[in-house]
Amino acid sequence: MCSKKVVRYSIEEKCYMLVFRKPLEGVERPQMEADVTIVGGGPGGLACALRLSQLIDRHNRRNPEAQMSKENIYVLEKARELGQNSLSGALIDPRAMDELLPGWRDEAPLDAEVDDEAVYFLTERGEHRLPITPPPLRDHGNYVISINRFVKWLGEKVEQAGVTVFTGFAGSELLTEGDKVTGVRTDDKGIDKQNQKKSNFEPGYDLKSKITVLAEGPRGSLTKQLVNKYDLQKDRNPQVYGIGVKELWEVPSGAIKKGQVIYTMGWPLTTHEYGGGWIYGSKDNIVSLGYVTSLDYQDPRLDPQRVLQDFKSHPLIASLLHGGKMIRYGAKTFPYGGWFSMPPLAGNGWMIVGDSASFLNSQRLKGIHLAIKSGMLAAETAFEALVENNFSQARLSQYKERVDSSWIKDELWEVRNFHQGFEKGLIWGLMHTALQQITGGRGLHEVYTTHAGHTRMKHLDQLPADGGKRAHLLGKAKGDGKLTFDKLTDLYHSGTKHEEDQPSHLIIHDTNICNTRCVEEFGNPCQNFCPANVYEMEEDASAPKGKTIHLNPSNCVHCKTCDIMDPYEIITWVPPEGGGGPNYDGM
Amino acid sequence: MKILVCMKQVPQKDAPLKLNESGTWIREDVSYEVNEPDAYALEEALRQKEKHTGEVVVITAGPARSQQVLREGLAKGADRAIHLEDNGFVGLDAFNMAKAFVAAIKDEKFDLIFTGLQSDDYGYAQTGVIMAELMGWPHATIIMEIQKTESGIRVKRELEDGWFQHVEMPLPALLTIQSGINKLRYATLLGIKQAKNKPLRKVTMDEVKSALGENLQKIEKLYVPQKTKKTEMLDGTPGEVAKKLVDKLRNEIRVM
Repeated sequence: MCSKKVVRYSIEEKCYMLVFRKPLEGVERPQMEADVTIVGGGPGGLACALRLSQLIDRHNRRNPEAQMSKENIYVLEKARELGQNSLSGALIDPRAMDELLPGWRDEAPLDAEVDDEAVYFLTERGEHRLPITPPPLRDHGNYVISINRFVKWLGEKVEQAGVTVFTGFAGSELLTEGDKVTGVRTDDKGIDKQNQKKSNFEPGYDLKSKITVLAEGPRGSLTKQLVNKYDLQKDRNPQVYGIGVKELWEVPSGAIKKGQVIYTMGWPLTTHEYGGGWIYGSKDNIVSLGYVTSLDYQDPRLDPQRVLQDFKSHPLIASLLHGGKMIRYGAKTFPYGGWFSMPPLAGNGWMIVGDSASFLNSQRLKGIHLAIKSGMLAAETAFEALVENNFSQARLSQYKERVDSSWIKDELWEVRNFHQGFEKGLIWGLMHTALQQITGGRGLHEVYTTHAGHTRMKHLDQLPADGGKRAHLLGKAKGDGKLTFDKLTDLYHSGTKHEEDQPSHLIIHDTNICNTRCVEEFGNPCQNFCPANVYEMEEDASAPKGKTIHLNPSNCVHCKTCDIMDPYEIITWVPPEGGGGPNYDGM
Repeated sequence: MKILVCMKQVPQKDAPLKLNESGTWIREDVSYEVNEPDAYALEEALRQKEKHTGEVVVITAGPARSQQVLREGLAKGADRAIHLEDNGFVGLDAFNMAKAFVAAIKDEKFDLIFTGLQSDDYGYAQTGVIMAELMGWPHATIIMEIQKTESGIRVKRELEDGWFQHVEMPLPALLTIQSGINKLRYATLLGIKQAKNKPLRKVTMDEVKSALGENLQKIEKLYVPQKTKKTEMLDGTPGEVAKKLVDKLRNEIRVM
């Protein structure tokens, strides 16, 4: 349960709070054999499962004497139900779904077809509508969906096809042997706050898999283990991320049309931050709106949840929402890095799909179709590997070849240098975008490098104490309770719930840094960038700088921002006990 | 011991609810879960079976989506399931629901039937008791402990104010189980997988229709409470304020 009350803890309890989750040692674990284990039941993972099932069905029709089984194909999903941890705008480009399931438009939960777009540049009190909508933001023919409902629907298809989806189970560790990934260990259940077994303890399984497909979404925790273990990001741009903070509103009839799409740039961010707002008109007077803040900003006092509140206060947005009511809240990161940040897609026994592998078009702000397509291509490779009983790097790397010869490459190659252009700010970025339009995405040279976003955060003493040009957007949102909300009110609307008696799944590797250096250097930005109030600095006279870090892991909405944006790289997000997390019903 | 557990699918506790068009129930687009007391009833049945051997059967009524609670029951260790599958079961009152269940299990011989104490949605707390009445079985409610004896069972009922009552009962019997009687187990991967191959008997509306009658209870109208928060300051000396306050509590709010 996310709690709205401020709970005070004694010193002993604080020590209690700071026991971090780790897989238990010396536990006898049940094992299960799998042909393919897909980690993550989002669009990418489910598309992978469905495509694989289709290929097996086709094979079985053609080869009655050599039947293949789907018995040992599994999808692991940490949410209690499919879709509950899925968050996006969302607009879907139908291209990939048309290939996966012809006729899907008639039965999928599509809320509205986009038929009206506008792009605005916002100043504090005014707005300038772009006379034409830039081609990448033309969304005619795309659909407004609730990704939550879409994923639920797609999951039903997967289950009907005979693939087992294990909901409420997270992948907590990657099983490896040498350079080979041999499967996934699921989360231990029934562990108390001090990492001790409870009476209903249930050890995680070792799912021994011929192929492990990582479809964990942005900043996947197993993907991170894999990338670090085999140093996969070397010679590539580091991944860069944005965080989308979203609210779902119910507005008076007609305020925002079904199928209406609005994008904004500018205010409340300054020209030094990258980001923008969106408003999508869905059916039944439901409106999805949110603000994306790129996680490479300089000022540690910036708070993406506050940015969304300021965005709504703009006269243009406030007038659209007038008389409406906020009904849901959520936040999620997504990868901006594109083609040059993409890790190797396959190796010995493993493949990566979707956001985990950088399949997102940052110029069009769309990734669902790419996640689906990448899942399908991984499935095609997995199918052939199963037929040949060969799961080597050489075999599975054909997935990468499939990506290179598909429309994914065409789409992402064109925008390969898009986000890099904005590292120097909005103006430079827009000029650079224009240049890329002329040069087919190249710009001035072939590969623009980028820097991991957290490295761009500045020390407080390098920034104006009053915030300077950013003064208006720093600090916590207070909220008027109607149009704008403080973080805890928003958080309450995320439906977030975890088993309370479990160790913290936010692992801080050195809390001394939080309580000493970070207090002075960055002012503990975790309190600001976390959209769910997980991190708090409590007054503590006995602490060297008068403050100690305190965690509310039960508030966590699984956005991964802390893992990405913490300037010392001392926070690791691992999955909590399966079944916990936000409940993004209808989001 | 052969135990039947009645389980219900209810909207998740924190689900944002919206009324349906006719204002008689909620819209379907919410997430569902196992009714909490039913989860404890299932757990208790599984523990009894582990102690005394036997069989655990789970039963529910409702549209296709409600099969999820049976799957969960099977995954945790129930042996088989019975699904009264029809949208029409959603609107039944407790009396008719009990009749439908009794009709669906007429060929079975259970030693015990467990239900949760009450449902999280309607909150009738009647279905189990009426079932016992229809079958002519003894029943006990709000059960916190069950022990097998030579002649039957001895149960502990939770009364108010920290009081408990111990009752000896013969079998067969029906018990309504209180949340918190035990600690719930987790489903395992293997359990979930095996559940797919466990027997699940479907019962149609037609099969039990003849046992049902008119609903004796029905929801006329649901509405969201109007927020009428109003603060009124009482002025005067402490004595006067106390007097005014008592007057309000007695005559306006009528709590004294």
